[in-house]
Amino acid sequence: MGHIQNKDYSQRDFDPIVRDGEELISTHCCFCGMQCGMNIRVKIADQTVVGVEPRYDFPMNGGRLCPKGVAAYRQAELGDRLKTPLIRKNGKLEPATWDEAMDLIVSKIQDIQGKYGKDAFGIYSGSSMTNEKCYLMGKFARIGLGTKNIDYNGRYCMSSASVGFNQSIGIDRGSTNPWSDIKFADVLLIAGSNTAECHPLSMPYIWGARDRGAKLIVVDPRQTKTALVADVHLDIRPGTDVAIANGLLHVMIEENLVDQEFIDNHTTGYEELKELVKKYTPSHVSEITGVSVDKIVTAARIFGQAKNGMTMFARGVEQHATGTDSVSNYVNLCLVTGKMGRKGSGVATFTGQGNGQGGREHGQKTDQLPGFRKITDPKAREYIAGVWGVEESEIPGPGLSAFEMLQALGKEIKGLLLVCSNPIVSSPTVKDVGGYLKDLDFFVCMDMFLSESAELADVVLPSTVWVEDNGTMTNVEGRVLRVKGVDRTPGETKRDWKIICELAERLGRGKYFQFNSPEDIFNELRVASKGGIADYYGITYEKLEKMQGVFWPCPTEESEGMPRLFEDLRFNFPDGKARILAFEHKGPNEKTSKEYPVILSTGRVVFHYLSGNQTRRIETLRNFCPDPYVEIHPSLAKKYNISNGETVKVSSPRGSIELVAKITKITREDMVFVPYHWGKELAINHLTNPALEPKSKIPEFKVCAVKLEKTSAVVGENHG
Amino acid sequence: MAKVLYIDYERCIGCKACVIGCEECSGHDHLSRMFVDELNPGETVATSPTPCMHCVTPACAESCPVQAIAIADDGTVLSASLEKCIGCKNCTYACPFGIPRVDDVKKMMYKCDMCYDRTSKGRPPMCASVCPTDTIRFVDEEEIKYDPPKPVQFKWDFGGTVIETRTVIGLPDTETHRFGYREGEGVQE
Repeated sequence: MGHIQNKDYSQRDFDPIVRDGEELISTHCCFCGMQCGMNIRVKIADQTVVGVEPRYDFPMNGGRLCPKGVAAYRQAELGDRLKTPLIRKNGKLEPATWDEAMDLIVSKIQDIQGKYGKDAFGIYSGSSMTNEKCYLMGKFARIGLGTKNIDYNGRYCMSSASVGFNQSIGIDRGSTNPWSDIKFADVLLIAGSNTAECHPLSMPYIWGARDRGAKLIVVDPRQTKTALVADVHLDIRPGTDVAIANGLLHVMIEENLVDQEFIDNHTTGYEELKELVKKYTPSHVSEITGVSVDKIVTAARIFGQAKNGMTMFARGVEQHATGTDSVSNYVNLCLVTGKMGRKGSGVATFTGQGNGQGGREHGQKTDQLPGFRKITDPKAREYIAGVWGVEESEIPGPGLSAFEMLQALGKEIKGLLLVCSNPIVSSPTVKDVGGYLKDLDFFVCMDMFLSESAELADVVLPSTVWVEDNGTMTNVEGRVLRVKGVDRTPGETKRDWKIICELAERLGRGKYFQFNSPEDIFNELRVASKGGIADYYGITYEKLEKMQGVFWPCPTEESEGMPRLFEDLRFNFPDGKARILAFEHKGPNEKTSKEYPVILSTGRVVFHYLSGNQTRRIETLRNFCPDPYVEIHPSLAKKYNISNGETVKVSSPRGSIELVAKITKITREDMVFVPYHWGKELAINHLTNPALEPKSKIPEFKVCAVKLEKTSAVVGENHG
Repeated sequence: MAKVLYIDYERCIGCKACVIGCEECSGHDHLSRMFVDELNPGETVATSPTPCMHCVTPACAESCPVQAIAIADDGTVLSASLEKCIGCKNCTYACPFGIPRVDDVKKMMYKCDMCYDRTSKGRPPMCASVCPTDTIRFVDEEEIKYDPPKPVQFKWDFGGTVIETRTVIGLPDTETHRFGYREGEGVQE
């Protein structure tokens, strides 16, 4: 043992500084899927969280942090943390005791399930929680409540990548390679990812490759900070990813830049692809995507000629009505050129949520059981029933996906437990979602702050912040990591897993939830995942600590995990061959029209995380980016006579919003861009399209049709 | 060997982790001494960080009427001494880079001291510790000045007065355009 395999050039040879009267908690950031290592400074005398100290020796980030990471600890001591349970009385949320709250919840669950059946109570959970909590949510839904209706917010985030990877290479690990491999690529093709702002700690790896002379190709409708330093920026019209990939494939095939030997021995489906992309000539693709012929050809040549290379993508590719097609088509670029299974060759998706990877592996996804098992697979059901000590027939089947679940509220779902998510900010058609939540007979929410969604709940339970609990997370690379916390629960707060176990006890299901620590839960998770694709059986807390993280699969106690997948070029199908799949360009679900002539795309800024429930409360981050804005190209702005700083009303067929105009040449002329971290009248998701990807059920956040009107109204006055 | 701050403008993503990180150094009283500027807003997203340039002959210290600004043995230009500073702002007017700030309530100047609390213990300053893109690095002075990986600048001409700084700036590579920043599009072979 040892952690030689995890050695990474980003590590730095310094010890952290420990100040007098303080101790350091060596843990990881609570925000994105990079899961950067950090030390939290804690005052020994009263256990207050006072600061952050770099964790120079951690392999992924070597102590480096983005502004969210530096400021993350500041949420722990915020005055507006929830410190007691709240119960709605006469329309208002009032402080209550745990007993009152739990009694009410239990009676409501029993009422609703007695009247309408088990499935009438649903759980909507989240992926910023530890593996232990995510696992527990799935188990609690199936055998605590006995409901089939559990899904989670990763549905909005990672689900297209998941389906795409599964259908192409047979396994859904966010990256086939450890991040330290990126440096050894000769070309990096990054699509639909503003890496610099959304995963800043990936940049040293990208620069590491650049310093070796690697070429960078960026596919993005905006000239982001990532695109700014690219060799070729393919500035596509939003929603044309399938076409641009077909164009690149066309050129590589025409110019014989493919790896025929790899294709023959390790893939199926190439001939169909070859036939289909024939018509995607550079000039045809240029018409669809708006990218010049020259750039398409240049990018294809750079990618095709490189020996090693990686294709990396994110929500810009995935949050579309054809998101899974796009994912598989970008994977095709690596498959036809044989860029797989080596240092510097592979595919990856940038995981958005802290535990976006682990959160989708262990059973809080409605169609899954722990270890990436399918809930419809009789063998999987049998095995998990054995682990849980129940009859196979007691485990419900698949229920509704996240957005479908929201639409069913008040109809087939009468009661809802919301955990670690803020769907009234993060879902499309915000106004409708508010209506769905109000239609519920009973709505209980667990959160550390009173989020926009929690404000609508009948009962709110105060949970702890991330640095007050222990557990594991699985990062963008598929590396399982140990997070540690301060031993405290301020006020009446309780840890999420504790609340769930207590609830199970009160529901008479306590014998299945006898856990005294996160490690207890993890040890059961290990067994539950054993033999599954995401096999954690060989991972222990001790090993995680010793090795600074373990890559799954890790099937035995002797195993040290698998940082790089497919080194034997056997893909995860019975015949060992990767599937080359061919796709026609269909474009977005909603096309621009005379009434709605402009494309709207949404995304993140570096200062905020998801619905902003945490980052908007941290003063420094809020000050750096207090409000959303609309980015408009100068020539589009001119058409509407809009100047920088003026107020613009942006409307789609579903709603409208008023925003300050930021006139900038970084965005295309046929689109506008708005960041999505705000709620209520500032939520851009009033406008976004709820059209779901048929396979992954991800809503099409990244494209919808809008119109612009200059207005003199003060922002925030007339909200839609 | 003396170490200095090296700043590679091309890598800056404008995230201001350095600005917040600066607040986290024990000697900084939660007051940031770092600046991040947008270079040409509306045209590009390019940004750049500016810490103290740590002039070899610092105008701030020379202009201080009470000698509150000391220079450490390694050449680091320190923040004003709490006991001596009278908050007169001479230094803010004298500095050609606009670095010293004055806390009007405390009547105190504060500026980057390269995290003296950390560097004196052999650790990098906070900005160089946290910078997520390696835009800001803490490197050997001789090496970065005289054997740099790309063009650098550390002498600045202010209307005939040349000022040498210990902080070194990495310049965009406009000759080979190896890392973007070019006229027009396409790849430079």
